[in-house]
Amino acid sequence: MSAIRLECLGEACPIPLIKAQKKMAALRVGEVMIVETDHSCALKNVPEWASKEGYHVEVTEVDAGLWEIYIKKTK
Amino acid sequence: MTEIKTSIGAKTNNKRMNQIPIGVGLLIAIIGVGFFVGIQQPKSALLWGFGVAAGFVLQRSRFCFTASLRDPLLTGGTSLTKAVVIAIATATIGFAALQFAAVTNGIAIPGNIDPVGIHTVVGAVLFGIGMVIAGGCASGTLMRVGEGSVMQMISFIFFLIGSLWGAKDFGWWSINFMPEKGIFLPEVLGWPLAITVQFVLLLAIFILADWHGNKKPSQ
Amino acid sequence: MDLRNNVYYKKFLKEPWPYTVGAVILGLLNIGMLVSTGKAWGVTSYFATWAAWIYQAIGGHPESWFYFQEKSEAAALVGGFAQNMQSLSDFGIIFGALLATLLASQFRIKKIRSWKQVAAAALGGLIMGYGARISFGCNIGTLFSGVASMSIHGWVYWIFIFFGAWIGGKLLVKYLI
Repeated sequence: MSAIRLECLGEACPIPLIKAQKKMAALRVGEVMIVETDHSCALKNVPEWASKEGYHVEVTEVDAGLWEIYIKKTK
Repeated sequence: MTEIKTSIGAKTNNKRMNQIPIGVGLLIAIIGVGFFVGIQQPKSALLWGFGVAAGFVLQRSRFCFTASLRDPLLTGGTSLTKAVVIAIATATIGFAALQFAAVTNGIAIPGNIDPVGIHTVVGAVLFGIGMVIAGGCASGTLMRVGEGSVMQMISFIFFLIGSLWGAKDFGWWSINFMPEKGIFLPEVLGWPLAITVQFVLLLAIFILADWHGNKKPSQ
Repeated sequence: MDLRNNVYYKKFLKEPWPYTVGAVILGLLNIGMLVSTGKAWGVTSYFATWAAWIYQAIGGHPESWFYFQEKSEAAALVGGFAQNMQSLSDFGIIFGALLATLLASQFRIKKIRSWKQVAAAALGGLIMGYGARISFGCNIGTLFSGVASMSIHGWVYWIFIFFGAWIGGKLLVKYLI
């Protein structure tokens, strides 16, 4: 299955979250989005929003200070 | 989905640098600076210690005053708003005790009680716009400079320039708008009522934030 | 065993703490500062002092301004940094955050993305600096410490900074995304 990548390197809050929210609205159920971020606060507020929406979410630390947040649109 | 995860996950442990030894070195240096300063100015060493602790806690908990004010209307998140209420309520308990003791003993009331007026309104609105477009307030900017953000370093330099400009104009604001001294709630309402009002307002903000945060997302 | 796999290392130094934990500790730290130094936590007044020192170094005379003739501010300017190291609490925030980031092995230089971002950071920093001076502080000195001191200026500040943040949010969505 393909995943949509959302690259947010160097973007500060709340831009990664707003971009994720917008992108997610355009996805179909079952599709996966990967948010790439180096902003430490985004890996708290993006998953928080995603789980509040009821989506499946996982965070992976790819490198020092670089994260990928996987969000699956489950509904 | 699982496929993507494992392939990225495998990449994780290969080349990643371990920064913990540098961190331990920095901790030793921080303690060293504390001792060095403490010999000459014990109070400054104390402030250094408090600053380090505050920066550490701000970063560890991703605490952000900017987000607490910005997110409720922008992204719908209110967990930081609630956290700020908790921080203020916690501090109020200690502050009020100290202030009450000071009043009872007839000494100057401790805490930040400053004149209120149009300057407060203008300053707050300017600060509010600035922190949202710059991505962090004063403590947030300092914290993110520590995290290595180049953008926040730029914001910090201009923050200094803005502070100087504000200090230059301070006289004009002071002459035209600022009353002699600030308004201390217990002086106006009496202690029992002031404490009640303070905590009822904080509780009301907490409940409002909680309710707003639990609303069904609009998107 | 590798420290990085230790469950307590992960819990205390790697994973972010809950916001409420941070909130309570920050509240206690602020009380601690007021008890031990006689002053509630503040951040931005030191920025003005630093900027004034730099301005003096390049030939300006901020000491003649009304602001720097007030007792405490005037005293801060006279001795220079060696005599007034209270501003170490601000440096402390930078190094405390750096320490936390390094111990979590998450330090990374975050590069600039666009000129638009630079302009926003510069303009934002500038008006924050100005706003903080005329309203007696920032989110720490006026909002956190001011409201906790039960001062009306703190409450008024809270109401209007919320309004300012709303305007800022509109600008951000319009120009920065």
